[in-house]
Amino acid sequence: MQFKYRLLKAIDIAGLQILDPVVRLAYREEPKVQLKRIGLFIVIPTLTFIAFIGLWAWLAPLHTTKAGEVPTPKVVWQAAKGIWRFHERENTKSDDFSLGGQARIDALAAVDKRIGELEPQAQAANTAADAAETASRTHLAEALAPLNKAYSAKRREFADAVKARQTSLLELSQSVQPGDTTGAKKLLEAVTANATQSAAEAAEIQQLREKRKAVEDHKDPALAQARATSNALEEELQFLRKRHDLLSTGNNTLRLDELATKLAETKTVLASAATPAERLALSQSIIAQEDALTQAKATTYSRPWTLPDQIGRSLRCMFLGFIIASCVAIPLGLLCGLSRVVMAALTPLISLFKPVSPIVWLPIIFIIVGGFIPDPSNSAILNFFNAVPGFTGISVNPAFLASAVTVALCSLWPTLVNTALGVAAVDKDHMNVAKVLRLGVVARLFKIIIPSALPLIFAGLRISLGVGWMVLIAAELLSSSEGIGKFVWDMFNNGSSQTFAQMFVVVFVVGIIGLILDRIMIVFQRLVSFDGAPTSL
Amino acid sequence: MKQTAPRTSGSSNAGLLRKTAGLTRWLLAAGFGASLAHAAPLALEKTELKFGFIKLTDCAPLVIAKEKGFFADEGLSVNVVAQPNWKTLLDNVISGNLDGAHMLSGQPIAATIGIGTKADIVTAYTLDLNGNGITVSNGVWEKMQLADPDLDTPTPKHPISAKALRPIVDEYTAAGKKLQMGMVFPVSTHNYEIRYWLAAAGINPGFYSSTDVGGRTGAEVELSVTPPPMMPTVLEAGNIQGYCVGEPWNQQAVTKGIGVPVVTNYEIFKNKAEKVFGVTKAWADANPNTHIAVIKALIRAGKWLDETDASGKLVNREEACRLLAQPNYVGADYNVIKNSMTGTFVFQKTDVQSMPDFNVFFKYQATYPWYSDGIWFLTQMRRWGQIPEAKPASWYAETVKKIYLPDVYLAAAKLLLAEGKISKDDIPATTDGYKPATSAFIDGKTFDAHDPVGYLNSFKIGNKDPL
Repeated sequence: MQFKYRLLKAIDIAGLQILDPVVRLAYREEPKVQLKRIGLFIVIPTLTFIAFIGLWAWLAPLHTTKAGEVPTPKVVWQAAKGIWRFHERENTKSDDFSLGGQARIDALAAVDKRIGELEPQAQAANTAADAAETASRTHLAEALAPLNKAYSAKRREFADAVKARQTSLLELSQSVQPGDTTGAKKLLEAVTANATQSAAEAAEIQQLREKRKAVEDHKDPALAQARATSNALEEELQFLRKRHDLLSTGNNTLRLDELATKLAETKTVLASAATPAERLALSQSIIAQEDALTQAKATTYSRPWTLPDQIGRSLRCMFLGFIIASCVAIPLGLLCGLSRVVMAALTPLISLFKPVSPIVWLPIIFIIVGGFIPDPSNSAILNFFNAVPGFTGISVNPAFLASAVTVALCSLWPTLVNTALGVAAVDKDHMNVAKVLRLGVVARLFKIIIPSALPLIFAGLRISLGVGWMVLIAAELLSSSEGIGKFVWDMFNNGSSQTFAQMFVVVFVVGIIGLILDRIMIVFQRLVSFDGAPTSL
Repeated sequence: MKQTAPRTSGSSNAGLLRKTAGLTRWLLAAGFGASLAHAAPLALEKTELKFGFIKLTDCAPLVIAKEKGFFADEGLSVNVVAQPNWKTLLDNVISGNLDGAHMLSGQPIAATIGIGTKADIVTAYTLDLNGNGITVSNGVWEKMQLADPDLDTPTPKHPISAKALRPIVDEYTAAGKKLQMGMVFPVSTHNYEIRYWLAAAGINPGFYSSTDVGGRTGAEVELSVTPPPMMPTVLEAGNIQGYCVGEPWNQQAVTKGIGVPVVTNYEIFKNKAEKVFGVTKAWADANPNTHIAVIKALIRAGKWLDETDASGKLVNREEACRLLAQPNYVGADYNVIKNSMTGTFVFQKTDVQSMPDFNVFFKYQATYPWYSDGIWFLTQMRRWGQIPEAKPASWYAETVKKIYLPDVYLAAAKLLLAEGKISKDDIPATTDGYKPATSAFIDGKTFDAHDPVGYLNSFKIGNKDPL
């Protein structure tokens, strides 16, 4: 029994209250009530989610845009797999670069075998794609030919008609004598009729153009399919060929061996060098070769950023911003809560800066941060951050710091306001007790005020974290600091057939991470609340 | 902080020592060391490099040099990072976040003479020739077709003159509006190209002045800046009615059916330098050997891109398109990139023209940093008022000498020649850096880089200077 309550307590603190009825049901506690709660908290949300996916899958193909069809859940899933594949392939390339010994030879053999298998397949797919392209082109030309013919004929006909009407109008106007009102009226009528006729003709031309455009814009699914097949095979082949390079001519271990051999050779030649000039040149060469060898040893595969790595960098960036925000907001909030004077002094500033968008902050901060880092390749600030555990390997640069500071500036307000509120709302009785006990300022702060304000402070921190996460994406996008924001922007700029689906992937990635962060904050918030204040949602 | 401070100052000292030692060593190697069997490798000052690029197919030499291992062959570990727009790219090079970048030809020139951001940027390598197009929206194309029966066929005659745009310009003006068109940067080839095209047909694209940095004084067509990858989106949104941009963003408009390319810059002026590889002067001075090593790799990449078989077919372009289609590079669909990279240009689905020189990466000694190309850009900057006051011909010649570094290019080329990686006719053996006078322009004017002022004065629309 005790275990049950411990478990329930743990579930409660972990913010996983939805599991509560499941546990209770397992212990046969009021099964009817629990089933009802399961229905409410688990079944209904799950059904809604499934309905949402179903609705999405049904609605998406109904709306086509010029960037392509709105992706269905299936296409988005494929895009997610594509992003992951890119990440894994880069990992493989990175490993291949420094692979040596028998492992390298084995990997090379495997790669070559796979290339041998794929090449004929790719060849066949390419031929098929070319054939599909020719077929599609011929088909288009055939479909367009009669339309074009009809169009040109109509245009010629109308052009002639316009000319003829113009001539007759001219004749008519010449026949009208000054003072001839009926004639003038007739002329006006003729001109109006001409205009109506011209408009009708233009409309007809327009119709023909639209018909033609519809044919031109028609997408050939067979061609798209053939291209997709051939492109997929070619992409894999290209990856394998790159691997082949990295395992043979481009391999760093091989390069190191080669450099070392060459160096040894030069050293032998030096021993038997005849003239002083030659000896000098060879010695110089040896030093240079030694340098090159040292450099080659330190060389790593220059890997492009992939989404999983960018997520890691984004999270670090946000936490840095969040920590800065907390370090500023909590002390300020305490001061505001403790002193009405400080509160009065700061209120205008808080109200002024709180609504400012991250998009406004970022360029300003970017310039200011840049001022502290005159030379990014050799900056004390950057070296410091790059040496902090957890930040190594993400190459902290000015854009990263600017994004973090932007996050801080936008996310500090909820914490500040909540802290002030929490402190101001400390129970009068508690303060009276403190007075009676003659507690000092520090003791009062740490024994009474902060503990009572903690639940509200954490509520503020939780909002701040949510705001920070939202702001971060925008900040990264603008500062092109590697992270989810830059990924979004790059993919959008690619404008490929995958773009649309990749955006949807990002929506889910950002959403899920945001959800997890929020849950974590709920746990903290509950841990510091004595009264188990309700913090669901 | 305390721990890192002494370490950094120590390493910078060591770096400085190595740099000076490296230069003498290189001189030795180039002098008589090369004749020895065990030639010393270039003593690189820096091996981990970060280059920026904009998502355009003409960043290809950088991508190819990395992916085909040409950088690695020089002992360089290079990361090639996409930048959101030309301004950010330039700022990142100046601030040192990037070691170098794929730049517009006009950027090093403008930065050096102080149009926009002032900074000393130099270039030793021209990445490509041509490669841009002007696209108009479907609506404008329709009006052009209705106004001019010659255009109203599935395969109109090229090049299409901006004269066909005149009725539309007038229509906008009559309605109290201006036709809006996009280009990528105030000192980009695209800005000069769309202005050249419009002005050749008598349409005034507007002038820059010290009070008008938007370049719209007297404009009949207003031009505005949009980053290349954003062009199709902005066109579709209706903010602009046409744009001038590099590939694949014209082909993208064809594929998505949102616009029609009407003219390429190959038709406006043949074989004009388009992008360059730019670095700061400080970087070039601090890393002379690394700079040479980078140029070596780029020359090989350019040669690889323009390799042809006996029939003149570009043999490596399809592979290049596959590489460029990777999401971390240009990232557009392979089939879109291919349209303009494999010797053709698709104007409309029904109008595919053969254009083997649409984008040249090595032919015609394209990669050499020609002074004459720099002077042409200077004339255009003066023509449209970005250079506010008249300059003598000697100023043009002196200015380009500060920006273009043929010595670095030749040092790299000679090393490649010694390694047997390129042949003798690939590089101009003896040249003063001036290409012969040419009149391969849409308006038939003659450009002689020795007489920039005369060229300026030959334009009907444009600033004129006393000789």
